[in-house]
Amino acid sequence: MKDWAFTTTIEEMEAATNSLLETAQKVGADTWQQRVKNQTPHCGFGESGTCCRICSMGPCRITKKSPRGICGCDVHGIVGRNFLMFTAGGAATHSDHGREIMHTLYQTHEGGNYQVKDPEKLIRIAKEWGVETEGKDIYDLAHEMAEIGLLEYGKPFGTQRFLKRAPEHTQKLWADAGIEPRAIDREVSTAMHMTHMGCSSLPEALVHQALRAGLSDGWGGSMMGTEFSDVMFGTPKPIDTTANIGVMEKDNVNIVVHGHDPSLSEMIVYYANDPEMIAYAKTMGAKGITVSGVCCTSNEVAMRHGIPMAGNYLNQENVVLTGACEAIVVDVQCIFPALGPLSKCFHTKFITTSPIARIPDSEFIQFSAKTAGDNAKAIVKMAIENFKNRKPELVNIPNLKQNARVGYSVEAIVKVLDGVANSQVDEFGTTKPLLECVTSGVLRGAVAMVGCNNPKVRPDSAHIGLMKKMLENDIIVITTGCAAQAAAKAGLMDPEKAKEYCGAGLKRVCELAGIPPVLHMGSCVDISRMLILAAELSKDSGIPISQLPVVGCAPEWMSEKAVSIGNYVVATGIETFLGVDPYVKGSTEICELLTGEHGVKDWVEAKYVVDTDIESLGDKMIACIEAKRAALGI
Amino acid sequence: MTLFERVFGGNDAVYGLTEAAIDSAIAQHGADHAVSFPGTAYSLPCYYGVTGVKVETLGQLKEALGVVKTLMTRENRLHDAFMSGVATALCAEFIEVLKYMDGAEPYAAPCYGHLPDAVVRSLGVPLVTGDIPGVPVILGTAPSADEAVALVKSYQAQGMLVTLVGGIIDQLEEKGYKTGAELRVIPLGKDVTSVIHVVSVAIRAALIFGNIQPGDAAGLMKYTFERVPAFVNAFAPLDDVIVACGAGAIALGFPVVSNETENMFRVPKSLIQQLDISKWNATSLEARDIKIKITNIDIPVAFASAFEGEIIRRGDMQVEVDGSRVDCFELVQTREASDVEDHKIVVDGPEIDEIPVGSKISLSYTVEVAGKAMQPDFESVMERKIHSWINCIEGVMHTGQRDMIRIRISKADFEAGFKFKHLGEVLYAKVKSEFEAVVDKCQVTIVVDAEKNAKLRAAANEVFDKRDARLASMTDESVEQYYTCIMCQAFSPSHVCIVTPERLGLCGAVSWLDAKATKELDPAGPCQPILKEGCLDEKLGRYTTVDEAVNKYSHGALEHVTLYSLFQDPMTSCGCFECICGVEPVSMGVVITCREHAGTTPLGMTFSEMASMTGGGVQTPGFMGHGKHFIASHKFIAAEGGPGRIVWMPKMLKDQMRERLDKTALEMYGVENFTDMIADETVCTDDPEQLMNYLSEVGHPVLSMEPFDM
Repeated sequence: MKDWAFTTTIEEMEAATNSLLETAQKVGADTWQQRVKNQTPHCGFGESGTCCRICSMGPCRITKKSPRGICGCDVHGIVGRNFLMFTAGGAATHSDHGREIMHTLYQTHEGGNYQVKDPEKLIRIAKEWGVETEGKDIYDLAHEMAEIGLLEYGKPFGTQRFLKRAPEHTQKLWADAGIEPRAIDREVSTAMHMTHMGCSSLPEALVHQALRAGLSDGWGGSMMGTEFSDVMFGTPKPIDTTANIGVMEKDNVNIVVHGHDPSLSEMIVYYANDPEMIAYAKTMGAKGITVSGVCCTSNEVAMRHGIPMAGNYLNQENVVLTGACEAIVVDVQCIFPALGPLSKCFHTKFITTSPIARIPDSEFIQFSAKTAGDNAKAIVKMAIENFKNRKPELVNIPNLKQNARVGYSVEAIVKVLDGVANSQVDEFGTTKPLLECVTSGVLRGAVAMVGCNNPKVRPDSAHIGLMKKMLENDIIVITTGCAAQAAAKAGLMDPEKAKEYCGAGLKRVCELAGIPPVLHMGSCVDISRMLILAAELSKDSGIPISQLPVVGCAPEWMSEKAVSIGNYVVATGIETFLGVDPYVKGSTEICELLTGEHGVKDWVEAKYVVDTDIESLGDKMIACIEAKRAALGI
Repeated sequence: MTLFERVFGGNDAVYGLTEAAIDSAIAQHGADHAVSFPGTAYSLPCYYGVTGVKVETLGQLKEALGVVKTLMTRENRLHDAFMSGVATALCAEFIEVLKYMDGAEPYAAPCYGHLPDAVVRSLGVPLVTGDIPGVPVILGTAPSADEAVALVKSYQAQGMLVTLVGGIIDQLEEKGYKTGAELRVIPLGKDVTSVIHVVSVAIRAALIFGNIQPGDAAGLMKYTFERVPAFVNAFAPLDDVIVACGAGAIALGFPVVSNETENMFRVPKSLIQQLDISKWNATSLEARDIKIKITNIDIPVAFASAFEGEIIRRGDMQVEVDGSRVDCFELVQTREASDVEDHKIVVDGPEIDEIPVGSKISLSYTVEVAGKAMQPDFESVMERKIHSWINCIEGVMHTGQRDMIRIRISKADFEAGFKFKHLGEVLYAKVKSEFEAVVDKCQVTIVVDAEKNAKLRAAANEVFDKRDARLASMTDESVEQYYTCIMCQAFSPSHVCIVTPERLGLCGAVSWLDAKATKELDPAGPCQPILKEGCLDEKLGRYTTVDEAVNKYSHGALEHVTLYSLFQDPMTSCGCFECICGVEPVSMGVVITCREHAGTTPLGMTFSEMASMTGGGVQTPGFMGHGKHFIASHKFIAAEGGPGRIVWMPKMLKDQMRERLDKTALEMYGVENFTDMIADETVCTDDPEQLMNYLSEVGHPVLSMEPFDM
């Protein structure tokens, strides 16, 4: 193991957190660290997925003595139903995010709060969907596309439009397995229907629908969320930013954005940069305004505007504990209800904005596309006016900060690859240079590292440890979500320094292409970008996705969305490695279906691998990549 | 078979051959038998660079092979493939050095084999200035001799330094294509192992210019990757050995372009398949990010720096402009803008087609320039470039300067339609492109009339005399500011030259006026003014502003530099110095030798060995690189007593410096004919006793000087 001398270590991050926890103690605040202790040990039935409470005859818990529930359902049916419900929750959530984006797209107009910033991309997708674009006003087209996109959620017949983006081989697997997702809402409803009392208890059927519901998310709702966010806010391209708690500025008004939907944060960023607002902040005794982010909203604005990333999921309380956060503004998903009482211990304004995420002890300012500008301006103003209420004795911003280059959309990656292509021999606009690096052995493969933080894993240790291990072995890492922020916080996205510790092959690639060895592809909804990249690699090489030396990994995942993601990644043909068990270990049959050689693998040519020993998980990923190489003879 | 398997296989094969060759040499000569390359202070440069260990005997060579074996790891990672490539290169070096045992000369013309240090040092300046934009290494046999010629010619026309290995050498010979270092086409050898001789140049560049410490393999590879613009063109078929060599080249950062398709892989910017040989040039340039400066000049023959060394023999000559016999001169003059008509080229007198073949003629050209930022001081800077510009014309040779020029125009050029007016076109184009920041308008008048030239020459000489008077009056004391020169930082990242009127850059190419002009031409460029303020010690030439400048421009690597001392914080070198001086402890004098002199000095060291003591931006008290003209300055090691300390110089250098040095010595010490008191190789080579005897015999002034305060 190399020393990675310049990186910020887990120990340093923990020391910073500990210094903030001292403040928490001082003000009597509750923190997740304490709540984990209170909740431990966790319920063994819940953890193994063997508790059923979908009707009021129970709850039923499966033990050796009581192997069936009151209705007679066995452990495999119970675990399978729980797994499918978990998936449906995630698919619904991601897809509803996408739906919100489509509604916002419908509200775009010239000079409005929301506009079309990447008309070329809109036209490209319109052509893909067979929509006439010639001579059409761009906003008319945007509205038409929004309606068509929204119909993807409820159309009575047919399957998802974006499935055509997959390689033919993959499309055929889906058709043969009968898992091509239909209307998005239907797949979620079907899942909920199947798991209702007295419906499905056949493990294959439950897992089958889990894949299908997952695909409706990845190739449906999430992909629309990503693609049309790009249309409205611009397709990300490489941009330099900073990461970790030290990005908050002591002398500035600090506004932290948190959540997932960029519609809100885009507006906040816009008004925080308004000279009028900056001048106002100065009259209030601040030097300026710093917007930073937590979680995926942070990823969205970092990718498009270089807004610094204060932290990931389990850092959300830390930003308040600095005592220097004037406002934490949230939209949807992954927001701790704990922020309500916590903010009361400080001067921090906790502002909720979405009817989807209503939380006690917050100020609710309902955000809508029509009033977005005014809403954002009011929020920024509120934060500025709150600056004077800071308690200086509580201010502690740990000095941890790293440089990061982010913004690697598929379009940006292809552009980078064009930069190393040779105009005398190569065609441009393909992934072929990357494939050549892989087939020649310069790169051994790629890992898509995604997911959350989870107190069951020492926060960020699995992300950072595994990434370093991959980089040393010439495996390039693409990443999204809180995993991406872990990399940025550690310094693994530093465009100058990070390559020094990589294997010789990856180092050379980084030098020639001018990239960091870990590529930030966006928020968790942007895992759809990874699907598109995998599809392009497969089409450009003629090799099925499942045979490419590419694997997925979520070592610290925690949410329902993550299970939905796992399902669509596996269903796309990418072996997926988990560091936290998805509540299925109670059923040998479900485990066999998900992780065995003849379960989902027979349908989609990929499976799950679960190993809570992170070192061993990493070894298995490398072995999987090398085995795929050997099978290809490269 | 995977790419790595091919590399490993090729490496194993070469290792086997090397082991057998060394074992057989030991069996024949014994382990204590000496091995070395001629003309280098860097032992086996590649092995020395990678490991920091010098190999002197066959026994040590065998031990070194053991070290090479440790590089040959076999994990399926690029690191292992790179190191196996490096191991293959080192084996090639071992095989090659065995050829040089007992002073053998294994390479016969046209092949060069090993290239001495002096060649490496001479490449520094042209490589940084982009005069040599790249170094193609062409390996193997082209599909046809015509394609071989076309490829080499395409690079040559861009000014590249072309090196050749293998069958292509015979293909060029077969076509009667001229090769040689002066034409920048260097056949290395016909065995694939001879490719090591160009790798050895790249490695020594890192050691000499980059101050890379021998043994710092990672630093070495970073240096060559970032700073040596070499690339490989390899003709099919490529066997595993060549693939392994290719891995070594790519490890050093040199991309490989090949037409091989069998069992081959592609790696972006590193291993490129190009089936169309006519596109190798463009493909390679793009892969190595080499940009060619293009000056389009409207003349009927080629114009490229590769033609600079071309010699036109009497028999090939159409006409000769001979300044030694008839009135000729070249002159640049500053005029008012209203007096210059841009791009006006006048030929006053007969054109070349009106003159009988073989004539020696009187010809002059006056380049008149105007520009808001133009200063008369720049006239001589431009004038000095004329030599190189005219020489770059294919089929034209130029020597000398001012009123002592000689120009030969070849018959081939005459047949191609070359006229005197084309000399004007070249002068116009080059002045306008290279001095665009100061020259707004430029016209050229060529006079081919002996009577007119007699008068014009007299007038020109008045200009030259005035300029000389100005130059002579220009001392370190007479100016307000000095200049930095960090042109070489592309190669030597921590070296900074301080250029003063009396101390020109150590490469000999940048005088104070050049630096001043460079600042004008490129305001944010390598030459920045240093105000002459904060003098701490006049004798040493120690200034706070100079210290601040070296600290800033060496990025903190250097804190103090004096202008006139050999011992107290002497000025550093990039490595491409013309001369090096070193202390001779017996006489308490200094020995100076120059790049052209291959022999040893009374220090027991050759130029290469002395040069290896310094360079790369490090300070080595007692050793200092410098330009030739500095020798005759009053300021030359003034802190230690001045040029009167010089006790030994090569005869050639003495002859070059005699006039000015004698004058300086007369002024400083009241000694006549000082240069004759300096010993040279005809007096002694490496025996200090002989040197002392000579110095006593002639009454050298050093004998009455105080010992050095070392």
